[in-house]
Amino acid sequence: MVKAVKGVVVECDTSVKQIILGLNEKGKFIIEDLDDTHVFVDASCIEQLRFDIDEILNENTYNVEESK
Amino acid sequence: MGQKRGPTGDVIHERRRRDDGPIHDVGVPEDQDIDEDFSEKLVVPKHATMDAVAQSHSFQRDSVSYIFGDHDYTWLPLKQDHESRPLWITEDGHIILEGFSPIAEKAIDFLITIGEPVSRPSHIHEYKLTPYSLYAAVSVGLETEDIIEVLSRLSKVPVPESILGLIRDCTLSYGKVKLVLKHNRYFVESSHPEMLQKLLRDPIIKEARLIGEEETNQNGALITGKAPNAKDLLIPGVKKDIPDPNKVAAGASAAAGATAGQDGDEIFAVVGLDKDDDDVESDDVHSFEISSSSVETVKKRCNELDYPMLEEYDFRNDTLNPDLEIDLKPITVIRPYQEKSLSKMFGNGRARSGIIVLPCGAGKTLVGITAACTVKKSTLVLCTSSVSVLQWRQQFLLWSNIKPHQIAVFTSDQKEKFLGAAGIVISTYSMVANTRNRSHDSQKMMNFLKSREWGFLLLDEVHVVPANMFRKVLTTIAAHAKLGLTATLVREDEKIDDLNFLIGPKLYEANWMDLASKGHIANVQCAEVWCPMTPAFYREYLRENSRKRTLLYVMNPNKFQACQYLIRYHEERGDKIIVFSDNVYALVAYAQKLMKPFIYGETSQQERVRILQNFQHNPKINTIFLSKVGDTSIDLPEATCLIQVSSHYGSRRQEAQRLGRILRAKRRNDEGFNAFFYSLVSKDTQEMYYSTKRQQFLIDQGYAFKVITNLDGMDQEQDLVYSTPAEQLSLLQSVLLAQESEADLNDDVEPDADDLTGNTSRRSGAVAGGSNGAKRTVGGLKSLSGGDQMAYIEYNKAVNLKDKDKNKAEHHPLFKKHRNKK
Repeated sequence: MVKAVKGVVVECDTSVKQIILGLNEKGKFIIEDLDDTHVFVDASCIEQLRFDIDEILNENTYNVEESK
Repeated sequence: MGQKRGPTGDVIHERRRRDDGPIHDVGVPEDQDIDEDFSEKLVVPKHATMDAVAQSHSFQRDSVSYIFGDHDYTWLPLKQDHESRPLWITEDGHIILEGFSPIAEKAIDFLITIGEPVSRPSHIHEYKLTPYSLYAAVSVGLETEDIIEVLSRLSKVPVPESILGLIRDCTLSYGKVKLVLKHNRYFVESSHPEMLQKLLRDPIIKEARLIGEEETNQNGALITGKAPNAKDLLIPGVKKDIPDPNKVAAGASAAAGATAGQDGDEIFAVVGLDKDDDDVESDDVHSFEISSSSVETVKKRCNELDYPMLEEYDFRNDTLNPDLEIDLKPITVIRPYQEKSLSKMFGNGRARSGIIVLPCGAGKTLVGITAACTVKKSTLVLCTSSVSVLQWRQQFLLWSNIKPHQIAVFTSDQKEKFLGAAGIVISTYSMVANTRNRSHDSQKMMNFLKSREWGFLLLDEVHVVPANMFRKVLTTIAAHAKLGLTATLVREDEKIDDLNFLIGPKLYEANWMDLASKGHIANVQCAEVWCPMTPAFYREYLRENSRKRTLLYVMNPNKFQACQYLIRYHEERGDKIIVFSDNVYALVAYAQKLMKPFIYGETSQQERVRILQNFQHNPKINTIFLSKVGDTSIDLPEATCLIQVSSHYGSRRQEAQRLGRILRAKRRNDEGFNAFFYSLVSKDTQEMYYSTKRQQFLIDQGYAFKVITNLDGMDQEQDLVYSTPAEQLSLLQSVLLAQESEADLNDDVEPDADDLTGNTSRRSGAVAGGSNGAKRTVGGLKSLSGGDQMAYIEYNKAVNLKDKDKNKAEHHPLFKKHRNKK
């Protein structure tokens, strides 16, 4: 029987790709690793993925206000 | 930069004391009681712990209000002629200045006196009123009502009540009482006799009072005399033939009044007030004498009573301390801003203690020397390392007519005394503050320093020295006037405020942009270059712990290439390039790969000198790599381009100090000349965070950082390093194999390898005390067992000997004869 999974192609730069691969080790959601800047992931995980990436990238942002 | 204040004030001071703990232990018995008094907590007047607080207002909020939050000031009523007034004043003490207003320049003069500059880009400036800044304003002679009047004239909006309150509270008691040293007796002086009566009712102060013979019959009476003025005081180096009120300190008040009057403009006339200030207090002054032994107690008591005392030194009437024959050479001319800063110091003909802030390379040394030439008394200069000791000595000989035998140097390897009754001694903080075992010679020298009175104490780079070290210095050395010099009055801890009370208020702070546009310092283009991490490196970055991460983002092959590309590009333009890397592993790797000379902590003395000389004179050596040994006290006017590969986390001071390396570029006055400052940052890593944080100080000075995401033409460049995946992989392998400790930034700088030319400085105490509590350092067995400390002076003998040889060569043959005789 044919099994269909709904997926989304994510285009990103190489470093975000590495973050996604890292996240994938915790819970598998990558369906197909296409190339350096593209990855095909499970559509149901997309919201969570977005949130996680934001979180990780925000760690590296300096906010002037918070220092005051 | 807001300080934590209010009810928690005391808690903060308590914590400070604990931080200071380890170093405080070095206390010696002889000044223990003073120390204990101090260690209880730093005594600050209670107003210093208050702040203007914003009150909440109910007003019509509109669709964009939420963006501004508490800083929505749309409800402030504008004055009718607000267009011609340049200031906005908010309730929390912030003042926004329109820098393009025609009277902005005068407003800046005024604001810099009463407020702290927060941010000064070219068009809009932000200042903040703080109790400390108001304290400084009073100390240069401004009166409460003048400040309020000028502010309300300049402001577009009515000055808020809370600000008026702050100004009144802070200025009414501040600075009204002065501690004056006259004829070697200490006097408490004030133009308000009732204040002195009030102080005298305090039992502690009463006890300290000395009743002179001339008023034995009338016990309660105060001594009355004329207030000082600057009539016949000239700051040397000032061009006397130009009748510009800003140029000549003497007679400034009269002239300023005249020009201001001619302008006819109300606002100008009032702005002129801050030059008129000396006239305001020229009535009679009253004073009583206190015994010199109780000066510390009285000072402390006055702070508690909320009448902090200003310290002034009436050097022209000091007959006990012999004069020093020193003057600037006739050819020496000081620049307008240097003059301005000095006129703040000598405004009323006496020397005020305080701090002058000038950018790196703007001639701080000359300001110090000119001040010494004005005071003309024995001078003690303290700086951070023995290299700067020698630099100061050279500068003194260069700019002033002082004889070489009148300047003595006191470092670990040179312990001279000057000949004659008065002279100059140059030393380091650690030499003077050290209270551990000393060698016989230095103990003798210390006794000499302690035994005499110093007319003038010059403190170089005051921002680096921990407060308790200062306290130690200030309690062991009897100095009449103190001047602190620095470029960056910021610290990552909040200890800057301590300086206000240990040395004095900030007298002057120069505007970097202003000096750059006038050509006193170089114009600098700042850029942050984003280098994407290669996938392989980033994968490892995500996996590693934070220490190894440092190494990974520094060794990023793309960064390597960007660095190589920039070096190549700027070498072709004829620039001389310094590359900074805090991380030694990276420094060595970069320099060897790119085949450039490098200097770090372990580089030997001869090697350093050779590399630096080649860099300065050899047209084939255009690039050198420096670890953080090159951050300060290196003077390479040839350098015109600076590339930063790795840096010390988020230190704003380091960023500014490094920029200072190219500010004094020799070619700065060439047409259209720009110096370049690049900061290479690996994208999507912690480095981005630190980099932004580091830039804040320079941004506040008005520098703009351009972000370069892609270096044009780099992809066409041939034979860049690590361009193939195979090479990158082998680099990654070696980075991963590297010891974890290689990622540490501090292992390079051992206490005695701290300065570039390899002289010993023994700053270990200063470094430990000055850093944040959170910093982790890995020490060798030697440092863990205390081997770095000053007690082990013999350890450095080999290095010292080398220095000695070098210094000997510098002496004039005549001088050598003198020394040998002695």
